[in-house]
Amino acid sequence: MTTELETWLKQATRQLSRDSAAQVRTEIQEHYESAREAAMSGGSTTAQADRSAVTALGNAKTANCQYRRVLLTSVEARMLREGNWEARAVCSRPWLKWMLLAMPVAALMAAIACFLAGAIGMARVLLVGGIPIGLLLTAPFLPLYTPSRGRVFRVVKWVVLIGALGLAFGPDALKWSWLLISCLWLVARIEWTRVSIRRKLPVAEWPKQLYL
Amino acid sequence: MNFKGTLPTLILEALEQEPSHGYRIAQRIKERSHGVLDFKEGTLYPALHKLDNEGLVESFEGIEKGRPRRYYRITESGHGILAKDRAEWRELSRAVTLILGEA
Repeated sequence: MTTELETWLKQATRQLSRDSAAQVRTEIQEHYESAREAAMSGGSTTAQADRSAVTALGNAKTANCQYRRVLLTSVEARMLREGNWEARAVCSRPWLKWMLLAMPVAALMAAIACFLAGAIGMARVLLVGGIPIGLLLTAPFLPLYTPSRGRVFRVVKWVVLIGALGLAFGPDALKWSWLLISCLWLVARIEWTRVSIRRKLPVAEWPKQLYL
Repeated sequence: MNFKGTLPTLILEALEQEPSHGYRIAQRIKERSHGVLDFKEGTLYPALHKLDNEGLVESFEGIEKGRPRRYYRITESGHGILAKDRAEWRELSRAVTLILGEA
């Protein structure tokens, strides 16, 4: 492989996952060989053929931007590999599964009991803490196997999260917005990465976490 | 010539003739446009992957001159999208010609 092609490939595969980079390398090398052979059969010298084949590929940075839009990046590949750890941990311990499923029910019942007993503040805390956490913990057990069910779940999840925050902070939500933003940016970043992965992977290859 | 946005349609058109690999698709587009549509070949593959992700083309392993190559073929949905794009392009072209006049 020529140094020019190697440099082009290094730039074009920057930040791509290992599999994506290998795929790009293979297809570009095949393309390069065909272009080189065509140039040489047209009377070019080896050096001229090498140069014209690399020049025809265009700007490596532009190609890299376009590749990152359609192939998995290293960050996305890592999220796919490691993002399912909660579900794996829960599924390997049945008692944990039942405990997590019971948590939101217990929180709801406790909140109702507190409300009836007149402890409105405590009921609010239980609702704010219990319902969103319960929703997130029970998500891996819900029958979410189609993109449309996944969309419905995500809408419900965000409505519940925002509702819980609204309930927690009440009229002071704006005053505490700096705290909310600094806590939620990581969640938003993970959501955005998942949106990007959903666009790149065919539905048949989606792991459970992409529906959530 | 800048033909941004039309590359996926041109790829689908090239693949409608027969399944092909990236290099041949690029050459076919250049030849059929008599060299007017000259694009950087490194941008062809991201467009092919996008079409693949959208289910408009599918890839398979083939052999050319004893070497393994990744070939692409158009799918049923790809045919549908190509027919729609072709109709839209004809309409747009007719409208622009009405304004600018025949060459």
